[in-house]
Amino acid sequence: MKLKAKVKKDVTKVKVMFKSPMAGPEEAEKKKIKPEFIAHIIGKANGKVVYEVSTSGFISKNPLFKFQFKGAKKGDMLEMTVTDNNGKVTSDSKKIK
Amino acid sequence: MERRNFLGFGVAAVAASMVPASLVAENFRETKPKMWQEATSAGAITDMYGTTDGIEGKIKLKAPKLAENGGSIPINIKTSVDLESIAIFQDANPRSAVAAFTVPEGAIINYDLRMKMRKTSDVTVIGKGRDGKMYKTVQKVEVSIGGCGG
Repeated sequence: MKLKAKVKKDVTKVKVMFKSPMAGPEEAEKKKIKPEFIAHIIGKANGKVVYEVSTSGFISKNPLFKFQFKGAKKGDMLEMTVTDNNGKVTSDSKKIK
Repeated sequence: MERRNFLGFGVAAVAASMVPASLVAENFRETKPKMWQEATSAGAITDMYGTTDGIEGKIKLKAPKLAENGGSIPINIKTSVDLESIAIFQDANPRSAVAAFTVPEGAIINYDLRMKMRKTSDVTVIGKGRDGKMYKTVQKVEVSIGGCGG
């Protein structure tokens, strides 16, 4: 997971890129791999939820998401937690610049 | 007996309608498992919100009119309306739902992501406001080379 967060005038802009084949059942069958895609993403800053999305296999592979939120300061921690369709949980955190 | 059943049903319905409001964050994968299996936008939207109607023109959807590569179509959704949830649907793939956002209170709705589409179709973005009103935007995206392994 690649994570970048920058604060400017109270608005924090986040870019996050995940590593996942994002293959739904049909695509996985074609590529002869196990279906694997990100099902749920949650972003927290200082323990407060700032971003939450449930996704399907129709997001591009190695997906890039961008979002913005208010209320964080420089040096705060941003934590992203990702759950895939098989229930595997990955998380990563980074200081907001 | 019939009366007892009726009362029980009423209590269950009230309890069910109160659950989403009490949750701070909602995982649509768990709360609405049916919508992810629907083939059409209309079916999936009805599963999620119970209606496909919405006020148009309040949500800005930025998507290419002609996408050369259906495997990676950049989508941007932006609105100043205070929404509690917003979701993206299309009719090009075997199943319709792409992503469903739960919007935390006070968040800025300006989301970017990239999606896959097998063929030309409409992309629907629909959201529910904290005032209970529905908002939606529909745009047609033409795809010259299909993504999604197609």
